[in-house]
Formats: sequence, C-alpha cells, structure tokens
Amino acid sequence: MSTLNKKSGDLGTWLMHIFLGVNAVIMLYPIIMMALSSFKTNQEIFSSPFSLPKSFSFDNFAIIWSQTNVPRYFINSTIVTGLSVLVLLVVGTMAAYALSRYKFKGNIMISLFFLSGLMLPLRLAIIPLFIQLKALGLVDNLLGLICIYTAMSLPATVFIMTGFLRSLPSELEDSARMDGASEFRIMVEIMVPLITPAMVIAGIYNAVPIWNDFFFPLIFIQSPEWKTLAQGLTAFFGEYSINYGVLYAGLTLAALPIMLVFIVQSRRFIAGMTAGAIK
Amino acid sequence: MATIELRDVTKDFGGVQVIHGANLSIEDNEFVVFVGPSGCGKSTLLRLLSGLEELSAGEIYIDGERIDHLPPARRGLAMVFQSYALYPHMTVYQNMSYALKVARKSKQEIEEKVRAAAEILQLTELLDRKPKALSGGQRQRVAIGRAIVRDPSVFLFDEPLSNLDAKLRVQMRIELTNLHKQLQSTMIYVTHDQVEAMTMADKIVVMRSGHIEQVGAPLDLFNKPVNKFVAGFIGSPAMNFFKGQIISADEGTYEAQLDNGTQFKFKAQAGRLTVQDSIDLGVRPEDLQPGNTGAGTLMGKATAVERLGAQTYAYLSSPINENMIIHYAGDLDIQSGEEIEVSFNLDSCHLFGPDEQRIEFEG
Amino acid sequence: MAQRTATIKTPFENALARRRQLRKLWLVFLLFPAIAILLTFVFLPMASAILYSVYEWDGLVRGEFIGLGNFQKVLLDPRNNQFLINAFFNNVKVFIALMLVQNGLALILALFLAREPKGYRFYQIAFFLPVILSTVIIGFQWKLFLNPIFGLVNTLLRSVGLGDWAMPWLGLPETALGAMILVNAWHWVGFPTLVFLAAIHRIPKDLIEAARLDGASEWMIARDIIWPLMAPAVTIIVVLTFIGSFNWFEIPYIMGGLEGSPAYSTDMLGLLFYRTAFGSVSAGNSDFGTGSALAVLIFIFIFTFSTIATRYLTSREVELS
Ligand SMILES: Nc1ncnc2c1ncn2[C@@H]1O[C@H](COP(=O)(O)OP(=O)(O)OP(=O)(O)O)[C@@H](O)[C@H]1O
Ligand SMILES: [Mg+2]
Repeated sequence: MSTLNKKSGDLGTWLMHIFLGVNAVIMLYPIIMMALSSFKTNQEIFSSPFSLPKSFSFDNFAIIWSQTNVPRYFINSTIVTGLSVLVLLVVGTMAAYALSRYKFKGNIMISLFFLSGLMLPLRLAIIPLFIQLKALGLVDNLLGLICIYTAMSLPATVFIMTGFLRSLPSELEDSARMDGASEFRIMVEIMVPLITPAMVIAGIYNAVPIWNDFFFPLIFIQSPEWKTLAQGLTAFFGEYSINYGVLYAGLTLAALPIMLVFIVQSRRFIAGMTAGAIK
Repeated sequence: MATIELRDVTKDFGGVQVIHGANLSIEDNEFVVFVGPSGCGKSTLLRLLSGLEELSAGEIYIDGERIDHLPPARRGLAMVFQSYALYPHMTVYQNMSYALKVARKSKQEIEEKVRAAAEILQLTELLDRKPKALSGGQRQRVAIGRAIVRDPSVFLFDEPLSNLDAKLRVQMRIELTNLHKQLQSTMIYVTHDQVEAMTMADKIVVMRSGHIEQVGAPLDLFNKPVNKFVAGFIGSPAMNFFKGQIISADEGTYEAQLDNGTQFKFKAQAGRLTVQDSIDLGVRPEDLQPGNTGAGTLMGKATAVERLGAQTYAYLSSPINENMIIHYAGDLDIQSGEEIEVSFNLDSCHLFGPDEQRIEFEG
Repeated sequence: MAQRTATIKTPFENALARRRQLRKLWLVFLLFPAIAILLTFVFLPMASAILYSVYEWDGLVRGEFIGLGNFQKVLLDPRNNQFLINAFFNNVKVFIALMLVQNGLALILALFLAREPKGYRFYQIAFFLPVILSTVIIGFQWKLFLNPIFGLVNTLLRSVGLGDWAMPWLGLPETALGAMILVNAWHWVGFPTLVFLAAIHRIPKDLIEAARLDGASEWMIARDIIWPLMAPAVTIIVVLTFIGSFNWFEIPYIMGGLEGSPAYSTDMLGLLFYRTAFGSVSAGNSDFGTGSALAVLIFIFIFTFSTIATRYLTSREVELS
C-alpha cells in the first residue's frame, strides 16, 4: 500500500471513493450499454433501452457477418495494422540499433533528423501526400496506408527503441564480438531478444492508433473492398441508419478485439500508449 | 601457448590520448597482472589487445605474428568481463557453446568441449540454468567456462573478481591460479587488488595515466620500484615518503637532510645528484620501527592505533609527513594522541631524486 | 618510419580499411530504410506543402506561381475568412474546455488514484478503456446515445423526471459543440490521468512523508509538493492537448459532419482545411492551392504556440535530483 494512503474512513476518503466510483460508472456504462444493445432488436431498444436484452440473440451479428462488408473491413484493418507495425518494428529497431550502439560521424545529426520527424503533423501535408501516392499508384491501395503509417510512426518508434537499446550493457556486445559473432548476429541473437518487452510496448503504442485511425483511409481509400474497419463503419452507418441493433452490433464487434487484448494486457497497454508522454 | 608483444601501442579517443606508446613483451604461459589507479588505461590496453578497440598507432604481435588488423575472434584470445556479460536469455550451456556455434563446430564437438569445461569448473549440474538463477560465484565460473571452451592461447581478465564478496574472491583466486597451471596458457589479468596482483602474477605491469611505469616480478617491484609512483602504489599499506634536500655532493658521496633536520650520508652514482636537489626518502611501514635504534629518527603523534594482536598499525602525524603509517609485527601498547619516536635504517629505504626516479645506493 | 608505413603497414591497413568499410556498409544498411521512408513519406510531403501553397492549382494539376496569393485568399477574402475566424475560435473553445474539463478531471482522478485506494487497478482499466477505442466507435456510439428521440441520454433524463432537459443535443447550435467536447473528454480522460499518475508515482515518497510529518494537510501536499513536481507531465499534456485541439477532426466530422453542423457551430480548422482542399458544398471545388496555404498557416500557428508553451512551461519545472 502506498504511503500516500495513511488515513482511511474519514469524510475525504468517502468522497474520494464516491468520486472514483461514479466516474468509473460513467466510463463503463456506455460501453456496457453498447454491448448489451447489440443483442437487442430495434423494438427492444426503443421500448426498454436500459434493461438486459430479453434473449442474447446473435441475429444482429449474423446480419453483419453475412450482409455487410464489415468482415472484409476487419481483414483490411488487420493487414494494414499488422504489416505497418511489423515494418515499423523492424525498420525502427534497425535504425535505433545503429543510433544507440555505434559511435559514428553524423550520429547526432541523424538522431535530430528522427526527432524532428516527431514534430511534423503529417495530416497537414495530406495534399502533397495524396499527389505523391497517386503518382506511385498507391491511392486506393492498402500498401499506401502502410507506407503512411510506417513513416508517420517511425520517429516515435526510433525514439522509444533507442531508449531501451541504450540501456543494454556494452559488455554483452563485446562478449559476443569476442565469441566471433558478426555484427548482424550480435543484433539478432544477443541484443534484440533482450528488448522484446520494449518491442511489445512500441508495438502497442503504434498498433492502437493505426487500428483506430480513419482520417487517412478517408482520403486515400475509396473502393469498398479496401476500406479499413474504422472507415468502413462510417459507410456501414449510412447503410443501416435505422437498424439500431445492427449498428450497436457493428460498434461492439469493432471494439471487441482491442478491448479483449486490453483487458488481458492492461499493464502493457497503459505502458505502451503512454510511452511517448512519460519520460 | 603464446607470446605477446606490444610495440609503441597508442590509443586516442577523439583526440585525447589515453595510451601513450606502450611497449611490452609477455612470455608464453606467463600470468601477467596489470595494475594502476582508476582510469590509467588498463581496460583500454586489454581491449586493444582483444581487438574490441582499434589501435591508433603501433603494432601487436602474438607468437611473432602481427594481429592488430584481425577481428577479435580471430586473434585466439578469450576475455572475461567484470560484469561477466553472460547472455541473460541463454542457458549456461548455450552461453558456453555460443562461440563454438558461431564457429560452426559440430554438435558433438561442442558437446564434448562444453562438458569438459563444465567438468573443470564444476558447472555440470547447472548447464540448463539461466544466468539469473546462478550465484555470483557461479556466474563468474560460467564466464570463465565460456572462455575455456574456445581453447584460447591467451586469456584476458578485466577485474573478474571485483563483484564477488571477500571470501569468494579468495576462493576464486586460488581456482584461477590452479586453472592457469592446468591450462598452461598465457593470462593477462587486470585488478585493483594488491593481494591478487602479488599472489597471482608472474609479472606485474604497473601503469599510470597511459604509461607503463614498470614491468617485473612482484617482489622485484616491491623491493626495487623504479620510481616514486611504483613505490607508493605497490605494497599495502603504502610506503611513507619524507621530503628532503641534498646538502653536499662529493664524487658519489652525498649528504642529505630531511625536512625535519635528520641528516644522513649515502653513496650513489657520481653526478646523479647535486646540492639543493630535492629528494624523497621512502620507508615502508614495516621498516619504520618504534624506538630510536635506527639510523634516522622521527617524532610523530599517534592519530589512530589499530592493535590486532599479532600486529599493530599506528597512524602518526608529524611535521614532515602528516599521514605516516607504521606496521609493527607484534602488539604495541600505544595510545592515540601519544607522541612517539620511530626510526629507520637506511639500507631498507628507497631514495628518489628530483625526477622521482629511483636512486640506487652504492657500496 | 615513413618508409615502414609505406612498405610494411600497407597490407594491414588494407585489412583494417576493409573492416571499416564493412562497418560503414552495415550502418548504412541499418539506417537507410528508416531514413528513406521518413524522407519520402513525411519530409518530402511537408516540404511540398509549402511549395504547393504558392502555386495556383487546377485539380491535380499545378498551375502558375502566384506568390502569397493563396494566403491572401485564405486570410483576407471575406468569403473565406469568415469561416476561418469562426473555425479558429471554435478550436480555441475546444482547447480551453478540454483543459478545464478533461485535464482538470484527469488531475483530480490522478491525485485520488495516487493514494492507491481499493480497486486501484480496476479504476485504471476503467478510465483507460475508452482511450483504446477508435474515435469512430466513440463518435457513432455517442451519436446514437444523443439521438433526440430514442437516444439513451434523453431517455434517461425523462425517466428521472428531467424531461424538460431532454433536447436534440447535437441539433442545437448552443449545445452541439459542448456535447462533442464532453464526448472527447469522456474518450480521452484516461490518458492524462495515467500520465499524471505516473508522474506522481515518480515523486520520492519521503518528500510527501516529510511534508506530512511537518503537519501539511492533504490539500497542501497536493498544492505545494505534488503539483510543482509533476510539472513535466503537465507540460506534455498541455502541449498534446493544444496540438490535439487544433487538429481536432474526427469527432466533429462524425458527429456534426463536414460542414460543422448545426450552422457551423462545430466547424473546426481541420474540417475547413478538408473542405477547402477536397471540395464541398460551401467551399466549392477542390482547391489544393488555398488548401495548402491553410495547412501551412495551421502548421505555423501550432508549431509557434506549442514551442512557446513548451518553453514557458518547462521553465517552471524543477529538477528532481
Ligand atoms: N570509449 C571511450 N571513449 C572515450 N574515452 C574513453 C573510452 N574508454 C576509456 N576512455 C578513457 O580512457 C581512460 C582509460 O580508461 P580505462 O577504462 O582503460 O581505465 P582503467 O584503467 O581500466 O580504469 P578502471 O580501473 O577504473 O577500470 C580514461 O580516462 C577513460 O575516461
Ligand atoms: Mg577498467
């Protein structure tokens, strides 16, 4: 128990518990309502909005599964997020490795280059980006999104990974060098395995915003078959605007995977998502 | 099985020279210990030898062949680090076999070598453990085992025992000495510990700020330090120095006066000193005895006395040296604050000239 | 000596040079992909944006160089600048409101959580849960909840006898922006909370113990010890909130639409930029020139003010030794 928590039972403590509790209800209740409503029919939603569903019917989910593009969106989002994070971690870790483990001319310059990338809001360069990707044939193409997300998240990834890689003792590297390992083997077999927790953190840090983003798909993707989940939901909302049960089911389905991972891995999620803001 | 030779080895880091032209020969099967104050370049010299750092200038030969262009693993050396540097995600077996795996040795050969090394170091039981599950001493042994399996011609140790507690150090010291006998290979060993240096070394290399000051057998260094620095560095507790001046010089017969007025005569090389040269007279604590039976006497006030029964250390303060130490083999009943007289004999003293170099007494 | 260098050393120097060469190649291999990606997809477009803003555009085709003409159009043309001014002040409102509601609440929550009450882990997870969800989900979910007739909010108000309060929250210019700000606060409050919490946990416990032994009340401890020592976290959150507020796009887009309805009361710089660049009912055809000019202006504004804010806020930070 924290040393901050000395007194208990007095009025202040009670107020604190009430405040936290009410806030928790405000945070959780809408999400629970969203999930519960997804099992309801339209009539049920109108007539008894706050009650538990009469039966946990999966009809709404069945409609989504069979009659909408949402499964397709889901796959697209998985591909985009998965590949972006993979490329990010590989490329970002490589660069961070060079910057953190070697002394060479230009090290500081290149570090500053990555650091300055942190401050550029790519959204405001959307027009040139659009023209550029158009020229490369990457508009309306998942690869285009992957390029953007990778580039956009690289500076932060390099930054986070550099911090972790710096903390590894150099004697390990020296020792592997004495053992005859090549620089490549030292990186892959000795150093990188030691920072897997950091890679998980950096992975979450990037994956969540990429999975959730809908600004870039909004501009770069038009065909229904390439839409991502977040973006696709907007189309789906247009289509089913009067069938509330289906809408809630769609939202629930979109929220579910990331929420499940979060609840299991909350510590890492919190560490990951606040990684950029906590020194 | 290797001789080593360093010629004019120089190293600078970004323009700051930290090794200034080191020359050194090491015989086959020798146990060589590098000592010197912190930051004098011991580790750097070791890393230059191992290939972990590139030379700025100079040459290194092993068995007569120049090797300073070769990468670390091709020099036939193995190194044991102060922090052990075990790979945390690998088992003891994997740690010990990594170098062989990298060298693409056959599974069978790897197995044999690792088992043999584990046998020598009593690690057989621990082969499947990760480093985290080992004690400090066990980790140290794994680090040594990792070096042994490679069958190196030279072992390099950088303060390998400094992370162990006193008892383990003594034990590992003995084990290492035995290992040296058993393996018959050249070993270079960096330490801060006087006792390790004196007991383990065939040859001690004393360094100071990037220079090799003296190389020699432990007792040679103790008995005939070439300069004031080595004299003060080798031996524990450290030698006492008294400042003085030459007051007459005549064809190799000199007379000197210490700052407290004590005068003495000695013979040395003619012309080596002239009148008014400043000198340092060095007397080891064990050569400074209570009473006035010796050739020179000093008065000092005891500031602290350590009576251990079989021996006594007394810390004295006198105008000529505020921190004198005497070491008496036996019990000596002095009280702190007491004024006592101590004396020394000239033939057990060391004399250093104005350049701080040793001046040999003659006749 | 010189001769020896020339004759004997050469083969060795060759070997060394080869190794150095190899090391250089290795470093290039490590760094090249990241630098190339970043240059191509971040630095190049950012630089182009500035370039584009000084040209006339016809669809995707670049026309003539017109100097600051586009900037003039954005800033001075009354047909445009009335939107610009309206949107800008809406962003300012968003920033102030989020600072008070979202970050203020976060601070209180963090101070409470720092005492590690029962349910500490649960609260952390509960507060952070919306943060991980997509703005799209949040936006639509709350749009459904705020539906004037059968939305949960109004239903709830009616069911507790506050039927008079039930209103079309997103349909009235007076309430729409406020509702969206509250939704955003609901979405993000967990983030500053946990950043503040981490900062508080980093304050040495003995400092707080010492203050308590000196007889300080909990309030005085919060004000005199915790608050000044968590300054770095406050700096980061203020700057992030500032950047977020002036880039605000998703929530108003989803809940109010591209035209900032009702009646442009939820119009934002981000929406205006999107409309200008890609065309809309009010802004007419897509115009990359004025769009780029607007983007450059927004960037300069955000960059300048966040730099000044960082400077100012950092100056009140104290080093923890
Ligand atoms: N990589 C480096 N870059 C710059 N200077 C260095 C580097 N490595 C060592 N030095 C400097 O070289 C000098 C010698 O360092 P070295 O580590 O060899 O000392 P040491 O004798 O091993 O000391 P210790 O007993 O503390 O281990 C020191 O002044 C140190 O600061
Ligand atoms: Mg050292």
